[in-house]
Amino acid sequence: MALLEIRKARREFITPEGGRLAALDGVDLDVAANEFVTLLGPSGCGKTTLLRSISGFETLDAGTIRLDGADLSALPPFRRPVNTVFQSYALFGHMTVARNVGYALEVRGEDRQARSRAVGEALEKVGLTGMGARKPSQLSGGQRQRVALARAIIGQPRILLLDEPLSALDRNLRQQMQIELKTLQHTLGIAFVFVTHDQEEALTMSDRIVVMRAGQIEQIGTPRTIYRQPKNRFVAEFIGETNLFSLTIDQIDAGLAHARTAEGLQLRLPAGGAKVGDKALAVLRPSDFTLSDQGIAATVTKAVYLGSDLYLFAQPAVGGPEIRVTARDSAQAPQVGAVVHLAYDPAAAHVLEAA
Amino acid sequence: MAMRRQTAVLTALLSPVTLFLGVFFLLPLLIIAVFSFLTPGLYGGVEWAFYPWNYGRIFGWADGIMEIYEPIYLQIMARSLGFAAMTVVLCLLLCYPVAFWVSRLPARWRLLFLFLITLPFFSSLIVRLYAWLLILKPSGLLNTVLLGIGVISEPLEILYTPAAVVLGMVYVMVPFMFLPLFSSIDNLDRALVEASMDLGATRFQTFIKVILPQTLPGILGGAVIVFIPSVGNFIVPDVLGGAKGLMIGNLVEQQFLSARNWPFGSALSMIVMAVVLTVLLTSITFAKRKGGQNA
Amino acid sequence: MRNPIGWAALTAFSLGFFLFIYAPLLVIIGYSFNSNPVNMMIWEHFTLDWYRGLLGLAERVSDNNNRAAYIESTDQMFKALRISLTVAGCTTAISTVIGTATAIALSRYKFAAKGFYNGFLMLPMMMPDIVLGIGLLIFFVTIGMQLSLLTIIIGHCTFLTSYVFIIVQARIAGLDPALEEASADLGASEWLTLRKVLLPQLAPGILGGALLAFVISMDDLVITYFVAGTDSTTLPVFIFGMVRRGVKPEINAIATMMIVASVIIAALGLWLRSRKTD
Repeated sequence: MALLEIRKARREFITPEGGRLAALDGVDLDVAANEFVTLLGPSGCGKTTLLRSISGFETLDAGTIRLDGADLSALPPFRRPVNTVFQSYALFGHMTVARNVGYALEVRGEDRQARSRAVGEALEKVGLTGMGARKPSQLSGGQRQRVALARAIIGQPRILLLDEPLSALDRNLRQQMQIELKTLQHTLGIAFVFVTHDQEEALTMSDRIVVMRAGQIEQIGTPRTIYRQPKNRFVAEFIGETNLFSLTIDQIDAGLAHARTAEGLQLRLPAGGAKVGDKALAVLRPSDFTLSDQGIAATVTKAVYLGSDLYLFAQPAVGGPEIRVTARDSAQAPQVGAVVHLAYDPAAAHVLEAA
Repeated sequence: MAMRRQTAVLTALLSPVTLFLGVFFLLPLLIIAVFSFLTPGLYGGVEWAFYPWNYGRIFGWADGIMEIYEPIYLQIMARSLGFAAMTVVLCLLLCYPVAFWVSRLPARWRLLFLFLITLPFFSSLIVRLYAWLLILKPSGLLNTVLLGIGVISEPLEILYTPAAVVLGMVYVMVPFMFLPLFSSIDNLDRALVEASMDLGATRFQTFIKVILPQTLPGILGGAVIVFIPSVGNFIVPDVLGGAKGLMIGNLVEQQFLSARNWPFGSALSMIVMAVVLTVLLTSITFAKRKGGQNA
Repeated sequence: MRNPIGWAALTAFSLGFFLFIYAPLLVIIGYSFNSNPVNMMIWEHFTLDWYRGLLGLAERVSDNNNRAAYIESTDQMFKALRISLTVAGCTTAISTVIGTATAIALSRYKFAAKGFYNGFLMLPMMMPDIVLGIGLLIFFVTIGMQLSLLTIIIGHCTFLTSYVFIIVQARIAGLDPALEEASADLGASEWLTLRKVLLPQLAPGILGGALLAFVISMDDLVITYFVAGTDSTTLPVFIFGMVRRGVKPEINAIATMMIVASVIIAALGLWLRSRKTD
């Protein structure tokens, strides 16, 4: 049995114009103990509403949330064995760092000694040993983030909920915190449910990613599955850079389908269960292409320098949308205007389930 | 279950204010409205009988027997409105440049002058008015100085004139105009001013076309906050004004504390209340329409 | 881009403005030390006699018996001060509690009458004090309530509750709602959250509101004037009475002491506000 079971979760909001908007529209999700699950999607997709339904700050209109088999819906937030790291950190400005961190134990009525020992341990876990006497206003953004984390784990929640906790940090610190969070999750051995709109963050940290759109779950899977085998166009375009091809299958030959676009660009794909004449939508990532002597003939229209790599926009000779390709930068790298040939492994091409 | 507890907490939080203001604010206002239609008693007090002539005395439908129409009340009403309007305009003319100046000062000086403008809020109104009594009276500071340096040969008669009343009102109301004005001038995005000049507008054009419209909410807010207490004021005309400086507030006070004609006093206060509510509702409607445009 | 001549003119105008505000107060302070009892505007010499007289030390001023006669009644003044402090203290306590509760209710709960309350609470501040004053007078007389300290306190609370409400509400509006959520999330009940998070976070606003209520209550003249009983004269009403009976040198001394007190209170307020930022 999963640690957390969400079934048919539904939550509607009244929009300012008086309409109804389903922030959660029939969501089913299981989270296992010790799992790092990320809720990913554009703003307004319902990911924060889902998180707040678990913590108890939103009440579902329909559906259930069970933790260890027990229904949470009757419990107010302060009785739920889950804790949250807030996007704004929500540190109490009138308390010291130590009192912030020990707050969960303070309101539980634990004695001073036990509290200060636990606070010391929690601060150590997040690398803030000795900072207990400071006020939150005296800390940097990264340090505040760690205080918020220590405060949320001190009560040993069954699940730690994280609401875009890294969005206020700059890029370097964010990448460092991503790794630290993942490590912390391992040491603590509790489930993390992490909300973000940053796909890179999701790919880096998660055991499983839940891609959401308009109150519904589009796909659940490991980062690799989500990236390599997106279920549909939305997931394919939301995660990473994508070349999408709308194709008609001409011929099937030894497990390979030969297909062409409306403009006449020819591609080979894994055939799967497709038949001749079927329409198909295929995904090829920019890194799936290599520059070669043969393959799709195209003219470079833009070249974006990315450090070790080049990001090329290549216009196929037969017409149709530009193809995006990553290539290693070198002295021989193609310039704008150069004619290149794009090769790829047909097995890398992923055909979407729903066009 | 959670819902019911929320309702209980909400009721607990809101019932004190509801009860208190219901009994000691709404009820008194209602009683004024009722009293303004009652018959004045012979030796103070009221008789509980309908009596339309309280308003009749003021607006001209008095029956000529029980009460007669006296145009003086409308004149005093008009004078009160005029004094309040003059106070608003003078406060605005004084405060606008100063608010602009303070907003352009370096942080340290800004704080000092903002402190200096809020200080009068903390000092006694009657003390501040009394100071002007000292200055304006015939043997007061102003006349002593002016006579001393030979600018005038006879003491000026300023005290107990309408001018003294308006001066006093401007003096006590100026901080109320300054603060809303300052906050809207200070919030003005300077890039707007620079953009306007960059696009070729002169200083004057920039002021009329950009700065003034942008600070209009502050001007309106300040005007309402100054106008409302001014129109019903009776302390300032009492201390600094003579017969010619009498305002409607003084009339009301007289009806209650010397003439003891409470129904008539109530009718007069109903008029003050009507003026205030009209100004308030108009300004709110206007502000809402303005806000709608900007959004 | 600043025009130097324009700026100089603006500076001169502004300094003139502040002179206009402060000169009258300085005049009072100056003349409170003038020994000329007949025409205060003509400087005789420096004296502390008016202060001595006020503080009930007049008998020590033996050089001029007339001066002691000017002191109306030290006892009366001190009584008025005591009444003012009592009224302001009670008013502050009551209006702070009611105003804060209202602010919390209106910003933390959703209910149908919310808009009505928000508008309704503006009214007592906007109602001219003379209307409120006579309304309360008629009300108290009609229900047969003796005019006393209590009626003054009630009168002050009607409009000061709104002042406290506005200030506390502004503070709540600037508060991150996630703070209270974090507290609940960490296991604190509503009551604990109120005590440990919301009230401490609101403290500067509540203190500021209380200070404002105290200062306005101390200074209120109009409403007090109508609802004070003969035996419950406050300091402003007492001074108003003196001023109405004519200019007397000891008023200068009282006024000076009140100005000094107000500067101290204003400085206290400023200090409070500067603490608000952390």
